[in-house]
Amino acid sequence: MDSALLEIDRISRRFGAVVALHDLTFSVRGGEVFGFVGSNGAGKTTTMRIVMGVLAADSGEIRWQGRPTSFVMRRRFGYMPEERGLYAKMRVREQLVYLAELHGLPTAEAEQGTDAWLARLGLTTRANDEVQALSHGNQQRVQLAAALVFAPDLLLLDEPFAGLDPVAVDVLSAVLRERAKAGIPVIFSSHQLDLVERLCDRVGIIAHGRMVACGTVNELRRTNIERFWIDAPGAAPGWTDALPGVKVIRTDGSRWLVALEPGIDDQAVLQAALATGPVRGFAQDVPSLSELFRHLVTEEPPA
Amino acid sequence: MTAPGSRRQQLDSMRSVYLVARRELVTRVRSRVFRITTVLIVLLLIGGVELKTRVLTTGTNVTTVGFTGPAQVLAQPLSRAARGLGLEIAIQQVSTQASGESQVRSGRLDVLVRGPALSPHVLVKNQLDTTLQAALSGVVKQEALTAQLVAHGLNPRTVEARVAGAIIHVQSLTPSTPKRTQQLVIGLIVAIILYISLTVYGTQVSQGVAEEKESRIIEILLATVRSGELLAGKVAGIGLVGFLQLAVIGAVGLILIARTHVVTIPALGVEVVAGGLLWFVLGFALYASLFAAVGSLVSRVQDVQLASLPITMVLVVAYVVGAAVVLPDPGSLASTLLSLVPFLAPVLMPERMATGDATAWQVAVAIVLMLVAIGAANWLAARIYSNSVLRTGARVPWQEALSGR
Repeated sequence: MDSALLEIDRISRRFGAVVALHDLTFSVRGGEVFGFVGSNGAGKTTTMRIVMGVLAADSGEIRWQGRPTSFVMRRRFGYMPEERGLYAKMRVREQLVYLAELHGLPTAEAEQGTDAWLARLGLTTRANDEVQALSHGNQQRVQLAAALVFAPDLLLLDEPFAGLDPVAVDVLSAVLRERAKAGIPVIFSSHQLDLVERLCDRVGIIAHGRMVACGTVNELRRTNIERFWIDAPGAAPGWTDALPGVKVIRTDGSRWLVALEPGIDDQAVLQAALATGPVRGFAQDVPSLSELFRHLVTEEPPA
Repeated sequence: MTAPGSRRQQLDSMRSVYLVARRELVTRVRSRVFRITTVLIVLLLIGGVELKTRVLTTGTNVTTVGFTGPAQVLAQPLSRAARGLGLEIAIQQVSTQASGESQVRSGRLDVLVRGPALSPHVLVKNQLDTTLQAALSGVVKQEALTAQLVAHGLNPRTVEARVAGAIIHVQSLTPSTPKRTQQLVIGLIVAIILYISLTVYGTQVSQGVAEEKESRIIEILLATVRSGELLAGKVAGIGLVGFLQLAVIGAVGLILIARTHVVTIPALGVEVVAGGLLWFVLGFALYASLFAAVGSLVSRVQDVQLASLPITMVLVVAYVVGAAVVLPDPGSLASTLLSLVPFLAPVLMPERMATGDATAWQVAVAIVLMLVAIGAANWLAARIYSNSVLRTGARVPWQEALSGR
């Protein structure tokens, strides 16, 4: 379970003059939920489409279990594209059975899998309705079932939580964790960063086609941004000006939130604070993933 | 790749094509549109034939003629004479004049003939059919003539034989027998049906492709089946639906012909239907992949009509040539050559086969040329399709669709 099952190795892709991906590299292990985060147009969807083989990379390689991916391997990947796609006039159950069969399942297994997922996702009563008769949220569930129904070796979901109600979000979260527990890599993209933080073992942040940070949320915090809340009632504005690589982000009464660039000694900051008078508090701030994201995506210069 | 591996892959591939084709077939045959159009066409066919037999040619109606008294000797000669004029009559003996009259009044008899054989009285409800009147008066005159011949000591049979030898010889430079007319009409019907079904089912292919592209399900599909498999399955499935509909139409046509004798050439029916079906298969194999390629270029279903215009125009040309050049003279050199051209052959060749003008070797040459064209068209179309079907947004330019970038 520890070795990387899916490796994305230096893939690049341009669309005309626009560089969509630039030497993008990351890997995902079996049993891991990997959150893929980035601004609109950062390259998440392009990456997923390349992994699924519906788009070709200009350079670079995708490997599955150490070997370059082939059609036969990709056929076992469960994919939920960003732009949802189902036959609007086909019945829900029929459609899922058809897709499962296309993925290579014998008819009986396809039907079994379909019924199980319809029950799990609360769609059993809609099984014989045409897809177009379903609400947006329910169509989304069908789309999800389409990616899950053939017991895939990998899950690749583009914005699976978009447009889901809280109950469905819980169901989907549980499903993703459970699939990962079964040993398969689960990759999904999302803009709901609190959800990503809660659900993912590791997170990859992509900006302008490059992976700007990749690791557990804690790793990201440690390596990318260090902040402290300093309670120093005697400090006056500008007290950090003499310290290179230290910046005040905001103040809250007597409390100052300062950010340290990587490599800056936090004890030097404490010394400077003590020089202004008493220090009542000195605590590391734990930024949320959203703050990390904003920091990384705005600070990082474009390619 | 080991041999069993590639064998497995082949089976996988075949199963994918089968699954795609099955979906196309099942969803389309089950659709309301298919059922309604099929029923409508069949009804139209039945209605047309019934109309022709019931209204336009009253001749097939049986006229019941009753005879009573000495006029009864006229019954057999009249029956013969009427048949010669294409009139069918049923003879009935009537015991008394009174009951004959009441039967005419009630409509059970159309005509009552009574009185002396040489000057019979004819009773009808309101009007005597002119053909029947001519037949009857001919028979009566013949009877009178026979009586006169006997009275003058001549043998009526010898005289009749002499008279029968006096006939006119008609020679027409461009024969227009009823058989020829029937052949031409059937040829035109075959051309129309093939033109319509190739256009309709071809358009369904491009719409199906555009629909998959517009709904983006194509991304999911192409992650699990190869584009060639998807294309082949789609064409096969929709083609089968068209074939099925044509077969139903053909079968109904054959049954109608057998039942009503609208067409008097017995062997014509089955040959025409078989030829039509064969050329639908060949024509669809040629046109469908091109329709699919066109569908893959656009991003929305409503753009299909315009984009497929170049292909539908070719079919229109085939139909127009069929009506304007081939139909007036299916045996001419121009007709023969045009019916060999692959894109025109699916309409023109079955038309000429229906009119009875296509020789076996012409059909064979047309099929060979057709197979070559099908191979080329499919190669080209598969290339365009796989290069364009995942590209969304603006319409894909032809050059890019062909070159792949």
